[in-house]
Amino acid sequence: MELLAYAVVGGILYGIFFTLVGLGLNLLFGVMRIINLAHGQFIVLGGYLAWIITTRLGFNPLWSIPVSVLCAIVIGWPLYRAVVPRLQRSDDPEMLSFILFFGIGQMLTAVTMLLFGADQRSLPEDALGSGSLGVLGQQFPDSWWWAAGVSLAALALLWLYFSRTRLGYATRAVMAERDEAVATGIDVRRVSTIAFVAGLALAGIAGVFVPYLLGSVSPDLGDGLTTTAFAIVIIGSLGNPLGTIVGGLVFGLGTMLMQTYYSSWSNVVPYALLLIIVLIRPSGLLGKAVRLA
Amino acid sequence: MQAKRTRKTFTASLKTVAAALACATASFAAHGAPATPSEIKIGTLFASSGPFAVASLGQYEGLKFWAAQVNKDGGAFIKAYNKKIPVKIVAYDDQSSTATATTLYNQLITQDKVDVLVSDFGSVLTSVAVPLAAEHKMLLIDPTGSGANFFTQKTDYLADVSIPSSTVWPIPLANFLLQQKIKRVAIVYDANDFDASQAETMKAELTKGGVAPVFYKSVPTTESNYNVLLHTAKASNPQALLEFGYPPNDIAFLRSLSQSGLHFDMTFTIFPGQLLDLLKKNVGVKSLAYTYTYPTPPLVKYDKVTYGMNTADFVSAFNTSEKKQPNFLDASGYNTGIVVQKMLEDSPNFTQKDFHQALMDMSDKTTTLLGLFKINENGAQLGQPFPVAQLVPNAKGDDLSVNVVYPEDHATAKPVFPAPKQ
Repeated sequence: MELLAYAVVGGILYGIFFTLVGLGLNLLFGVMRIINLAHGQFIVLGGYLAWIITTRLGFNPLWSIPVSVLCAIVIGWPLYRAVVPRLQRSDDPEMLSFILFFGIGQMLTAVTMLLFGADQRSLPEDALGSGSLGVLGQQFPDSWWWAAGVSLAALALLWLYFSRTRLGYATRAVMAERDEAVATGIDVRRVSTIAFVAGLALAGIAGVFVPYLLGSVSPDLGDGLTTTAFAIVIIGSLGNPLGTIVGGLVFGLGTMLMQTYYSSWSNVVPYALLLIIVLIRPSGLLGKAVRLA
Repeated sequence: MQAKRTRKTFTASLKTVAAALACATASFAAHGAPATPSEIKIGTLFASSGPFAVASLGQYEGLKFWAAQVNKDGGAFIKAYNKKIPVKIVAYDDQSSTATATTLYNQLITQDKVDVLVSDFGSVLTSVAVPLAAEHKMLLIDPTGSGANFFTQKTDYLADVSIPSSTVWPIPLANFLLQQKIKRVAIVYDANDFDASQAETMKAELTKGGVAPVFYKSVPTTESNYNVLLHTAKASNPQALLEFGYPPNDIAFLRSLSQSGLHFDMTFTIFPGQLLDLLKKNVGVKSLAYTYTYPTPPLVKYDKVTYGMNTADFVSAFNTSEKKQPNFLDASGYNTGIVVQKMLEDSPNFTQKDFHQALMDMSDKTTTLLGLFKINENGAQLGQPFPVAQLVPNAKGDDLSVNVVYPEDHATAKPVFPAPKQ
């Protein structure tokens, strides 16, 4: 019973973090119909940023969160201007974005390798507190709580943006019906730019916690993170940020329960859940019910 | 006068024919004898990215270091040609992918026609080379692929040179556990040939000694989060927790253990003994304190060698040349070169079968910087057994010493058991 409690609480914490991992990917798809296959590589860059800030500059890794946001603006805005308008003029933007961002992802992996080498990099364990915090009699490391806390804060900010700001309303309108949003005079380009930069910023913030939750960060980690994020988004609902929370929690709980009872199968969880969801409810757990012909 | 001229003409013709015959014979002889190559091509792969990159690059650097040393001396002596010939490393990047490695091993054999084939680091990247080499009747020099299933039958085309077969790695560790009278052992291992074969050997050896593991679970090789698993293992109340994984697993495992607040009287992982600096950098001295590992050269040293540099000389030469301290994988790459060099020096003919025979003749008679070189007819390395060591912090707690605790004839200290809480 103790193990079950540990797996459930651990799974929720892990799942909240993976919500953050999937959120940026889902935001980009929701607003622009772009499938960012370089998402994992941007997370890895966030991890390296945290590594530089902590081990080279001697600051707390949490300082890399605002720096990640700044970097997302510096990198994301020109990238958006260079890439996205061309994609949206295409007849099949989803497929073209698939190919284009796959290429960007591979390039980022190669550049990261050149800059940092193939070594794994980790952050000092005590940088986020060396103790642990208990729930239901189970102790969890401080870094897990920080990861979950920052993820929840990011989710809350996103919710405030969507529900309390004019731009947020506009973003929701674009996500719901892009053509009608254009017709009603919404500046879709502005909304898209903000969503693109926010998507990269969320990836960068998630990267800060990767060395803690996954042991270390290395250039080759990106593809696996993209796959997991993609699975989470599909499980929840592609294009619906709220669905990412559900997808992340299902993923986290599934992984931890499998690790407790059938450990060697734990890595199969995202793919098994993905297959089940695609077969039973192709639009995801929070998606509108659709029937396949 | 006429007769004189005729005799002169005849003599001249005879000389011309004789010269032509001599030229033809010389030309035939030149074509019949094997041409001496201008260089000996050593074909190998390395991984600049992916999960095996760190270990693979170390091994590759060691091999390149050997080639540079040999070429500085005019090349390797090749008995079949009775002369020294420079060696050339032909290497490609497989990026830790077995699919890419398959293509590239094929290329080395069929396109580059290398003289000696050396596999990449570890069992996963060696696994695709083993059948390919046998199919092309090419001897595969295997530095660190020690998976048990490579060595199930007699072969002329495989030789494990720098690391013992993984089935024999845990035997001293099992003996140590039994000697310490540790009855409750938990084993976590990665579901791959290298780690699974060690787990199986450990289980079998413990069972022989009357100890049944209380926890025995596998995880995917890509596992990066051990928190829940550690709690599951702790629930079985073991005295010793053994984790058999690759370096990324060991790092994730030890970090999870440190974060979890759990304590085990004895914890064992494989790679601190091979990549201590990497583990110290990623896990920290505190988390490694009082854990156990297999110490490997240069952490343990072999002074009396019969071929090549001894461990201390290698460390010094590598440090001077490469401006860094070598780890075990650098040493294993260098050792691979040394074994190849001795093989070429002893082989009477330049054929793959003669190379293999030369290795068999060297077996059990040659000691290198990694210890005794001893292979069986299946190609498995049975020399170079790994002792058991404990990583003990210094007085300041900012560094670790490697104390060999078993077997007794190699021991440098007594084990600190149970491990104190950090």
